[in-house]
Amino acid sequence: MNKTASIIITIALVIGLGIIFVGGSKSKDNTSTATNHSIQNSVIKDGVQYITINAKSGYSPRMSTAQAGIPTKLIVKTDVTYDCSASLAIHSIGYQKILPQTGETEIDIGSQKAGETLQGVCGMGMFSFQIKFS
Amino acid sequence: MKTYTFHVLGTHCASCKILIEDILNEQIGIQNTHVDLKSEIVSVETELDNSKHELAEMLTEKIKHNGYILSVEKIIQEKKSDDVIWKAIPIGLVFLALFFILQKSGILNLGIGGTTTPITSFIIGLIASVSSCLAIVGGLILSLSAKVAQDENEKTSKKQFILFHGGRLVGFALLGGILGFIGEAIGINFVFSAILGLLASSVMILLGLNLLGVFKKSKLTLPSHIFSYFRKIEHATFAPILIGVGTFFLPCGFTQSMQVAALSSGSFMSGLLIMFSFALGTLPMLALLSFGSVSFAHSKYAPLFFKSAGVVVIGLGLFALLAGLVGLGIINPLFSI
Repeated sequence: MNKTASIIITIALVIGLGIIFVGGSKSKDNTSTATNHSIQNSVIKDGVQYITINAKSGYSPRMSTAQAGIPTKLIVKTDVTYDCSASLAIHSIGYQKILPQTGETEIDIGSQKAGETLQGVCGMGMFSFQIKFS
Repeated sequence: MKTYTFHVLGTHCASCKILIEDILNEQIGIQNTHVDLKSEIVSVETELDNSKHELAEMLTEKIKHNGYILSVEKIIQEKKSDDVIWKAIPIGLVFLALFFILQKSGILNLGIGGTTTPITSFIIGLIASVSSCLAIVGGLILSLSAKVAQDENEKTSKKQFILFHGGRLVGFALLGGILGFIGEAIGINFVFSAILGLLASSVMILLGLNLLGVFKKSKLTLPSHIFSYFRKIEHATFAPILIGVGTFFLPCGFTQSMQVAALSSGSFMSGLLIMFSFALGTLPMLALLSFGSVSFAHSKYAPLFFKSAGVVVIGLGLFALLAGLVGLGIINPLFSI
């Protein structure tokens, strides 16, 4: 193999890897939302806001918005989840837990201020989700 | 008593000095071997009457299987290894790309329902061994294996890998049993495993650079105690076992899920079975990595293999390092696989 060809292939591969990393996730969002779009996944019941996040091979939705200033609970749904998304950490509230393989976990996140973003990551750090409060 | 000096090829690490000196001093009629790593020169004292060329050939015979060559004239190999690196980088990147495409494809999201039985944990182990956990566990194994295979002969390497995989299986079984026995009393510490993960990824990056030959020009750029630490890892018997057991604590979502399953299984035996079957499921892939390294390391593709492995290991190490920092909440997520 000649050196110039190798360098060209190398650059192509680096760009390819870049696309893999930065590009949006395909299979995970069944709702066909792009990475930067927000969808409505919260309901307010008896004065408490419930936000639902699905955890399986990543979190969906990756981005969501919710109302600020009211007591809020996060419901994380797992469905035979064995991968990293089962080990959830929300650093801003000091929450770390390995979720049950299948079930719903309720996490009290209190009432968040407007403009704040709550971020959850999985234990190994390759999956994450964000909730924006406004 | 005469003193001869030879040029030596293949000294890529600090421990090579000790290895060559030990082997040559064991030869009859050879004493006071001294290896100068910086100038790649070996000097020996001998009472043999052979010519310098004969001696070079004779002694090379003894250290050839460890990858060293003695010569009277300096062998110029720079040009060749320069070509190898340009082949190795694309090869390594192709493997990295395939690995991350596999993660993104969603093929690994197989639904395994119901309760955790030894059979399901075996299947989960099979999946885990090609999942993103491979980035850290597999990457560490590949880097250590390639390093061991580079430094040791075939027999010693294989022995160390058997110890490693054996230690891993037994360690997983026993620790799983303990989790099942103790039950909910202890939690699995996130921070501990994350820090261990950061440590493992740093080792991977260091060994990867070493495999690429970055340290070749200035072999002693690292503090010498780090090298002597690595030498201990490479040479001792209990070290491979210890590292094998240690992989239990490396951050891997699948491993952690299985640990929780073992925790809630309620008895020593069921916890043991769950973790043992899980480790057994991961064995084929991990064994392929380590024993594959030996076969490649002792074939004519060895230089290409070491450098390609170096590229793969550095890539996985960087990925694991960044992800680990995200997991600890130190940096914001940069990517999502």
